[in-house]
Amino acid sequence: MDKVVKPDLQFAKEIIKAGGESLKKCYQCSTCTVVCNLSPEDKPFPRKEMLYAQWGLKEKLFKNPDIWLCHHCGDCTAYCPRGAKPGEVLGAVRKLMIKNYSPPSFLANWVADPKYLLLIFLIPLLFFLGEMALLGYFSGVEIPRGENGEMSYVAFLPPVPWIDIPFMAIAGFAVICFYLGVKKYWLNLTEGVELQRKDIYNCIYETIKDILLHKKFQLCTLNKNRSTAHLLVLYAFIGLTITTGIAAFYEWVLKWEAPYPQTNIVKIIGNISGIALIIGMLLIIANRTKNAVKQGLGSYFDWLLIVIIFAVGITGFLAEILREAEVETLGYASYIAHLVFVFALFAYAPHSKMAHMVYRTTAMVFAKTALREEVKKEEAA
Amino acid sequence: MHHNGSPTRILVIGGGFSGLTAGIEAAETGAEVIIVEKNPYLGGRVAQLNKYFPKICPPLCGLEINFRRIKVNPKITFYTMAQVESISGGPGDYTVNIKINPRYVNSNCTACNACYEACPVEIDSEFNFGLNKTKVIHLPFEQSFPLRYVVDRKSCPKDCPAPCIEACKYNAIDFNLQSETIEIKVDSIILATGWKPYDASKIDNLGFGNVKNVITNMMLERLASKNGPTGGQILRPSDGKPVEKIAFVQCAGSRDENHLPFCSYICCLASLKHALYLKEQNPDAEVFIYYIDIRTPGRYEKFYNQLKEQGGVNLIKGKVAAIEQDPESDDVIVTVEDMLNFRKIKQKVDMVVLATGMQPEGLEFKVPGIKYAIDGFVIEADGIYSAGCAKNPMDVAGCGKDSTGAALKAIQIGGRR
Repeated sequence: MDKVVKPDLQFAKEIIKAGGESLKKCYQCSTCTVVCNLSPEDKPFPRKEMLYAQWGLKEKLFKNPDIWLCHHCGDCTAYCPRGAKPGEVLGAVRKLMIKNYSPPSFLANWVADPKYLLLIFLIPLLFFLGEMALLGYFSGVEIPRGENGEMSYVAFLPPVPWIDIPFMAIAGFAVICFYLGVKKYWLNLTEGVELQRKDIYNCIYETIKDILLHKKFQLCTLNKNRSTAHLLVLYAFIGLTITTGIAAFYEWVLKWEAPYPQTNIVKIIGNISGIALIIGMLLIIANRTKNAVKQGLGSYFDWLLIVIIFAVGITGFLAEILREAEVETLGYASYIAHLVFVFALFAYAPHSKMAHMVYRTTAMVFAKTALREEVKKEEAA
Repeated sequence: MHHNGSPTRILVIGGGFSGLTAGIEAAETGAEVIIVEKNPYLGGRVAQLNKYFPKICPPLCGLEINFRRIKVNPKITFYTMAQVESISGGPGDYTVNIKINPRYVNSNCTACNACYEACPVEIDSEFNFGLNKTKVIHLPFEQSFPLRYVVDRKSCPKDCPAPCIEACKYNAIDFNLQSETIEIKVDSIILATGWKPYDASKIDNLGFGNVKNVITNMMLERLASKNGPTGGQILRPSDGKPVEKIAFVQCAGSRDENHLPFCSYICCLASLKHALYLKEQNPDAEVFIYYIDIRTPGRYEKFYNQLKEQGGVNLIKGKVAAIEQDPESDDVIVTVEDMLNFRKIKQKVDMVVLATGMQPEGLEFKVPGIKYAIDGFVIEADGIYSAGCAKNPMDVAGCGKDSTGAALKAIQIGGRR
């Protein structure tokens, strides 16, 4: 610590603007660090991050795994004697980190700033309305129906080219953005650090296991319920990914087109996952509102993702029910809305809070390689 | 003194160090003073201390001097077990109702202790914060003033044959005594209602009440006092083991929005003083003081520097935020970030002392007719003054000075009329 530290107050202001309003209240007592069950013994967080943030030490924050090792349990915020809300401040830093690492940065700005809220949904909406226009639905062409004359979204917008191509394109785009971001973050994390463990694949395997079991999240004290809710959403996503995979197999390999009967395995998995998603999201919303006073309600950034995922679930079911009920206009509208939200989920994943999925995983893998894990409760000096 | 020659009359609410000082100082200028105290004894929190600043001497001699000044001064009237029920009127002309609760022991009492020996019912000693037992009829503490026993009537069983009455040879015990309300007229009022230790059980991460051998700083004063539950030996409560390793948790409930938002002023000095108590008894004892900032204002910095020189006194920057029982013993484990070394550490000690702060009495117990700030401190008005910790957390010396100042303000009201 011989180097002269240069504060960057402009960056400190950015953190404040990003949702860390309470940042300056911190008086460095380190209650947060002790009550945090996820914080390791050596160079624990988030007390030092609060200091870095107050001084605007961007490098120290961005090249730091701890920002992502934080799962935002909110125990720190609840016990903070000053109302400095370390949990919220770290959330704000994570938002800035996503912007820093995920290219292109203009997309990050759109997602982070409420003034672009309309724009980010307008883009996919116009896109899908454009497709409908191209198919002539606005100029008198009747929307075709399925083979047996039933209402069918596959007949409405045939997957090739109207669905599969744009979605594969944005998925590819998201993957590239993530790849570039994670690569940069990993290089920053490992810069000048000799990794303690060389078995990186084992580290990745262990990390995925931790995530699937929510081992870290479960260490939260005050906000244990959040772990269950999040786990439900995670498995819902896994289920929906499997659903998509099976559907793709039916469509591309078996050449069997949707809609599929409700008794088919793809529908069963899809419907169960969809229900899990909606219940999980309702629990997340309930937990956040319930703990708002003690642990903070969360920022626009948090709520944008919550709204997108929740809307994906709701519009999905709505479209399905309306299709079964043969309610045409509302049904197609729900389907378009569903596509818009799924588009938003995928296209903005590298820049929205969804990016936590890859950056937190990266930090967790790094923590394994650097032997930087939380203190086990039973180990006492 | 009034222009018409009649003396200024002053009501002092609270008979602790501040109230006594204000009352006596005013009376010694010729004012007539009434002191109202809710406890059965005078002296307040100071009476519970082992030693106090700035000389680190026992407080009983200081209190003794004040008691003598009261005894020889006919201008002072005091009521123990009394509380103000209402205040009306204005500066120079207040009417105050005071309720005096029965002590059940009259002035015949010689403090012979026969009643105590006869009494069959044990209760926790409030004066010693429950560290030991006393009986329903008891002397609050050895040097109590007035030196008279008191009955904790609410703890008396209904069917008790009251052997104390038989045992008393002086006819001093009278269970038929009733509370009475008196009305007085005064020119001005001094609020010297003081403080109470913040309820440490409200700080749920610090284990008080759940983890053995976690005590408060005021409890340590009692443990270290010659007239305390252990005769002055610092022994831990669970098994009476002499304390060799001790941890002090600073800002336990102070400077904390969730508890007391202000700095209680005295707790850093108190813990440094407590380190000295232990070091005097056991020079090899190891002391850990965990702090956010060590606050030893003004000339007290010298005391801090002296303590830093002591071997075995470790001052560690970082606030303790978790306290657990050692699974194998009655020892206690504290968790803290040693901030200057960037490490989260767990330290095992024999006993933990929470440096709890001063909760002004006014936070929970408001005198009718008096205005209070949101944190429970008195808001002064013309004719109504605060003295000592009812105004702001302060040390005993500060209380003395503040109370003398309050006395002058109170006297002025009489002269102005």
